Amino acid sequence: MSSAPVRPAAQAEPFFLDGAPGRRFCLFHPPAGTCRGALLYVHPFAEEMNRSRRMAALQARALAQQGYGVLQIDLYGCGDSSGDFGDARWDIWKDDLARGAAWLAAHCGQPLTLWGLRLGALLALDYARAAAHPVAHPIAHPITSMLLWQPVTKGTSYLTQFLRLRLAGELLDSGAAQGGTDALRQALRAGETVEIAGYDLAPQLAAALDGLPALEAMAPSCPVHWFEAVSAAGGASATGGAGGALPAGAARVAAAWRERGVDLHLHALPGAPFWATPETTVNADWLAATCAAMERRETEQHDGV
Amino acid sequence: MASDDRALAFDCGTDRLYGILSLPQQACARGVLVVVGGPQYRAGSHRQFTLLARHLADDGAAVLRFDYRGMGDSEGEARDFEAVADDLRAAIDAFMNAVPGLREVVLWGLCDAASAIAMYAATDARVAGVVLLNPWVRSDDGMARATLKHYYRARLLDPAFWRKLLRGRFDVAASLRSMLGLARTALRGRARPAAGAAAPAAFPERMRSGMQSFRGPVLLIFSGADLVAREFCDLAGADPAWQRLLAASHVTRRQLDQADHTFSRRAWRDQVADWTGTWLRSW
Repeated sequence: MSSAPVRPAAQAEPFFLDGAPGRRFCLFHPPAGTCRGALLYVHPFAEEMNRSRRMAALQARALAQQGYGVLQIDLYGCGDSSGDFGDARWDIWKDDLARGAAWLAAHCGQPLTLWGLRLGALLALDYARAAAHPVAHPIAHPITSMLLWQPVTKGTSYLTQFLRLRLAGELLDSGAAQGGTDALRQALRAGETVEIAGYDLAPQLAAALDGLPALEAMAPSCPVHWFEAVSAAGGASATGGAGGALPAGAARVAAAWRERGVDLHLHALPGAPFWATPETTVNADWLAATCAAMERRETEQHDGV
Repeated sequence: MASDDRALAFDCGTDRLYGILSLPQQACARGVLVVVGGPQYRAGSHRQFTLLARHLADDGAAVLRFDYRGMGDSEGEARDFEAVADDLRAAIDAFMNAVPGLREVVLWGLCDAASAIAMYAATDARVAGVVLLNPWVRSDDGMARATLKHYYRARLLDPAFWRKLLRGRFDVAASLRSMLGLARTALRGRARPAAGAAAPAAFPERMRSGMQSFRGPVLLIFSGADLVAREFCDLAGADPAWQRLLAASHVTRRQLDQADHTFSRRAWRDQVADWTGTWLRSW
């Protein structure tokens, strides 16, 4: 920690960033001392964003303290940003990441790390994929590493889980759920917006989630630190272990990525799923492990040179 | 009339707090401070507070919603809703400073934020009125709360539950109904002794005496399908002092029969925003 900052990070600055359409709420955490790098945080979907807000804020402050400039951006139709959730589209969200990355490049001018939670991790990976096709989708600000927090491994399965919240609501109201997720998908395919747990889901956004390739096919070209919560009984190691306690889906993806030469570091950490718990959950080990991963990433880069 | 959102940062003690100000083109002298309850942050469940603020600001009222210390984006240690008076005062200070011409505020809050408001309102002369939605009066995290918030949710996230549901949904529905019935019985059984003179819980007493001292207009909004609202109504119904308070002419009472605790449908959210706006202009 010889490069540890000598003065505390300045307080975070909230602002609205122009976007088309509307504006995006942003919170920038300036780095303490000399800037070591920039991070762009990509929040998860719907209520998971609210439940994980505290963990995101604590992590952003910890990383800023460590010397990183961190930008939290509320995607279109989410949080404090413009628009209704029902107006949100996958492609607008990818444009939002490009906006955030450009802002960070102008204000930090350092290598960019994308940090995404749950569906935000999937969005970050999908955005980063464009780097492999620079002509069709130019990315002005190359991504040098990624932090994936409990990434959603399949868009279509995630959509099914979200649709189930509506069935649960119907069960509570009337004692019976009408149809199933298939019926809801049919309504979406017919162009209807469906309301789920208070969120309007547009058919276009649902189709984008259904159309995403599985994570196996989204191998990033930069180093990745992947954090996965496992039950405490699993006894997984806290730092970059083999991840024996990983859920099958995640383990499959990890194996596929390694086969393709991805520089992947898995962190299986015990703890409750803080993006889903009814009360605010803070996992201090998770925060510390993420900071340690960023520290290690930097050491490795220097060793590599 | 289009409103405009602005980010606001202000201090409470040594901690920095973050909020969003929704500003009408021409703000009236009465603003609304949205107080956040439960585990939420300033956007609210399914963005209820974001949408409410824009709705009220479009109607001419400046609105501030913010995270108190230890919640959402704000700094500081997490704290209980019984200990947020300094946060509320700091937010009202910041609100007044940011909006010239603002002379008084209405505090608006759901669940334990409504409870915090009931305890705070009479202590600050700038508070002209309050809107309380499904106020929280449970003094311990007892069985019913655990059933509703933890056990039930855990079941919804359990794949085995969904496999059962797909095989035979009526059995599962019946078991859910019986589980909810048990929870209601438990709540009724626990609410009555709390309302009596034997062992009054500390903070519901403070809520009541706070509201007895508060002279401004009060809007109460209840969800019909919410055990938190039900428990408040049971408690208040069994206590003559609460009964007198709620029957007073400065208290307006509304109920949305179908709505759940967080008003999780657009129609319910819009109804709440509409009631709030109409009431704000009525005095």
